[in-house]
Amino acid sequence: MGDFEPRRERQGGGGGHRNDRRSGGFNKRKRGREDEDDFDQGYPNRRQQREAPPGTRIRKGLLEIAEDPLRLPQDVAQNLAKQTVDHYDDEYVRDTFGQVTLKLIVEQPFKIPFLAAVVQYANTDNADVAKDTIGTATSRLQEYLEAGQWREFKLVLRFLACLSSLYEEDGISPILDELFNRAVDLQTAAQDDTLGLELIKIILLTIPYLLATNSDQTLRQTVSELLGRTDIIASTQSPLESLVNPYPETNAQEEKAMPCASTISMLQRQLQEEESQGWPLKCLPRAYDPALKPAQANGDADLEVEADGNVEAKVLSKHTFPAISVPTTVSTGAKALFPDLYFSLYADQEVESVPPTSSIASCLIRDSIVDTINILDFNRNATARFLNELDCYWAPDTFVKRSTAFDKLRDVQSLGKPTWKPEDVAIDAIFSQVYQLPTPEHRLVYYHSLITESCKISPGAVAPSLGRAIRFLFRNVDTMDMELVYRFMDWFAHHLSNFEFRWKWAEWIPELALSNLTPKKAFIVGTLEKEIQLSFAKRVRDTLPGDYHPLIPASKENEVPKFKYDDEATPYAKEGREIMTMLKKKALESDVQTVLDIVRDQALAQGIQDPLVPITDIYMTSILSIGSKSLSHVLSTIDRCKERLLAVGPQSEAARRQIITSVVDFWSEHPGTAVNIVDKLLNYTIVTPMSVIQWALQDHMDRGRALASLQIWEMVSITMFKVTNRVRQVVRERNNMSLAYEQRQQIDEALPRERQGMRDLFTAIVDAVSGVASGVQDEMIERYDGENAEEAMVKAWGEKWTRVWRRKSAVEEAVVGEMFIVALVEQEQVVDVAEAEALEDMDQIA
Amino acid sequence: MPGIVAPMRNTVERLDKPSSYAMSKYKKRKRNDTHTDTTRPASPDLEEKLADATTLYVGNLSFYTTEEQIHALFAKCGELKRLVMGLDRFTKTPCGFCFVEYYTHQDALDCLKYVGGTKLDERIIRCDLDEGFGEGRQYGRGKSGGQVRDEYREEFDPGRGGYGKRFREDQEGFADEYAGGA
Repeated sequence: MGDFEPRRERQGGGGGHRNDRRSGGFNKRKRGREDEDDFDQGYPNRRQQREAPPGTRIRKGLLEIAEDPLRLPQDVAQNLAKQTVDHYDDEYVRDTFGQVTLKLIVEQPFKIPFLAAVVQYANTDNADVAKDTIGTATSRLQEYLEAGQWREFKLVLRFLACLSSLYEEDGISPILDELFNRAVDLQTAAQDDTLGLELIKIILLTIPYLLATNSDQTLRQTVSELLGRTDIIASTQSPLESLVNPYPETNAQEEKAMPCASTISMLQRQLQEEESQGWPLKCLPRAYDPALKPAQANGDADLEVEADGNVEAKVLSKHTFPAISVPTTVSTGAKALFPDLYFSLYADQEVESVPPTSSIASCLIRDSIVDTINILDFNRNATARFLNELDCYWAPDTFVKRSTAFDKLRDVQSLGKPTWKPEDVAIDAIFSQVYQLPTPEHRLVYYHSLITESCKISPGAVAPSLGRAIRFLFRNVDTMDMELVYRFMDWFAHHLSNFEFRWKWAEWIPELALSNLTPKKAFIVGTLEKEIQLSFAKRVRDTLPGDYHPLIPASKENEVPKFKYDDEATPYAKEGREIMTMLKKKALESDVQTVLDIVRDQALAQGIQDPLVPITDIYMTSILSIGSKSLSHVLSTIDRCKERLLAVGPQSEAARRQIITSVVDFWSEHPGTAVNIVDKLLNYTIVTPMSVIQWALQDHMDRGRALASLQIWEMVSITMFKVTNRVRQVVRERNNMSLAYEQRQQIDEALPRERQGMRDLFTAIVDAVSGVASGVQDEMIERYDGENAEEAMVKAWGEKWTRVWRRKSAVEEAVVGEMFIVALVEQEQVVDVAEAEALEDMDQIA
Repeated sequence: MPGIVAPMRNTVERLDKPSSYAMSKYKKRKRNDTHTDTTRPASPDLEEKLADATTLYVGNLSFYTTEEQIHALFAKCGELKRLVMGLDRFTKTPCGFCFVEYYTHQDALDCLKYVGGTKLDERIIRCDLDEGFGEGRQYGRGKSGGQVRDEYREEFDPGRGGYGKRFREDQEGFADEYAGGA
């Protein structure tokens, strides 16, 4: 990797002396010497002599707050408070303090309690620090509230909750009350409301932070009353929950892999439990200890003192809490909300490696991690580092020591010590996003890369956690939502491709004897296929025990499939070869037509109803063969021949679907390549979405067996993604106020047609697969009579497909359905040329 | 409340910006530019220039990595509009880099954030935002046809044709019998 000069991280937040992984050992000698300059020689070098100005130091201190496990967070916070107070008359310091604090609150939620501690320490000597910070934070809170930026709102509210002992009056309690009232309104108005649920979640997640730093009895009383009122909403199951359940209820007697309760119902129970115990809230860090005087540098104070409420020791400046007005109609925000279910691979098992679902720690830690992950998607390395240092941000002794082996937990447990493994807690949270329904906030590949980075930081600790996660997921593959099983497969194959394809495949050898129609075997087959797509057949085979080798036959190593017309036994062999030669030589269209006419005559003479079918097979197979070298080759050949291909569909639907058949047959050993080509044919409109769906789920249903095939799933998914994405784009453009009103009107007129097209496709899919689920699919009736193991398996696939596609359809309706689309209004017409041009780009498929 | 401190973008560095390598290369080019022609208006800032970029330069690929493999990984960040393999100028075989073009700028940024620095075909690949593919750019610019970075490489890299070609030629004068192949 000689492209990179090894250099130190210049960024303040990073702890500049870590080994820069990118340099990969290049030029080690020089680095070693530099490091010596910094660390080993006892005298200060030039850099240290020139001390950074206070604003810069405070900024750096805030950014790194609580990161260093060797320094007590109380000391760090107190020290920063002192520096800030000492220089608070400096405008630069004031600005920096406010800006960095507010930015950290919404970007690094782990640090909120520590930042609040700095403000609290500072308040004992300078009332302005708290006054200014509360002022900025509340005005920010109001903005987020009005914009419906609920995550940011929640985090700033959390920060303000941590400061509750500084307020003269009620502080944030009235806000919680108002939020509750809105939630009630929303819930009353619509049964399937989700915004109200989100508001309840925000209330419940704020309460612990409010009470952890404030033991005021009146406040506790207020909270208890509020908690009594949230119960009814929090404990009622939302009708949408079943839609997004990763392990849906089945009629089968199998035990559920995990309960997947809604997060708010869990929070409600956990808070009631905390209340009955007098609010211990053990996992929350208490970085502010009022017993410590701000000037006192070494603080080995006992944390318990503070919990006893020794607040009166010093007269503190109190502050008026600025008024926040909660709008009568609260904004939904940018993204569609769905109920949040608690997903955990490790919770409530024999050994307690993560907080049990009965503990408030489960929801509090999870919420902070998930926010961190989703906010910091722009730097997966930093995120992975924060997750690795997870234990720094919670109360001491919340977790077992990092990298403690899982086998050791039992011993630790018997000693009555904490057993929560930070690695398990972090991995659990990442997986909760990978398996988030309907979709996680970011592309799945982000979460893949985050797991990869976590593994790289601490392979010895993370890899075994992953191993247990994989085994859990595999064990429960039968009952998992099918879309999620494919996400599992996609992640697993991608992950292994980053780690030399190392996995203990031997332990799944017994599953190889199963039918390909069982979810477990289908998972193995699909994973290997995905591995091959990222690598190549021989490489993947070499990583597998011999028992697996029949799954990757030598024929898969042929990079270039054979041209079937080279075989004389193939009908129209001679013409097939001629067409291929002509296309290669770019012969005249009329000459090509002459040969195709011969085929037509032969076919008709043989009594073939639709001669365009064999003609299309010859034409398309020739294109594929000429383009077999790579995707670009086949694309340029298709492009060259597109006129004739485009003319096929309007003449004969059977011939149009023959195009797909030709592709899939030609690339039978590389099913992923076939899917890619079909994808491109959709872009050219050579095949239509409906023709792909019908090809897959009617023509090639194979008595329902097709539903166990990765290729069929991918083909249908890719097609539907294209269609739904387009309808969403149409809606976006329709609502794009920067476009001319007439233009938007035109788009609005096109919307019903586009949407109907999408609905027809969903209906076609659901009809086809639910027919399999109930066993009424035509071929199934012929074939299966009475009890049959295969029939049961096929029906189960039908049920899985039905569930997934009903959900996808419901989700799209929630985004583009009539009910959710407000009437088109003419507003100030700001015509932005750039925006208008962007519209043209949306036509990827039409 | 605007203060005297410039607004802070983020509390940690962003991975979806041009790499320091691209920056330094650009600055060098720009410096040379102004040296020869001062009448032209200064070219825009690199970040500005890449504000809508949909293309990525992908480096450190193995010579044996296929388009299909690249597609399998990069499509995880969005549909690919175009994929151009980098070729050896003389042999017209892959020489370890490519251009990947997406339909949207956001997809390209996602790719920088989530795929750059991960492995493809068991090599850590490098991604950089690119101004866009232009004809001719698919060829290696090294004297021997491949990428310049491979010319003098002293380490043996089986995925990238063994030793650097120029390096090998230099050695050949002393040990002809070990030369040959590829």
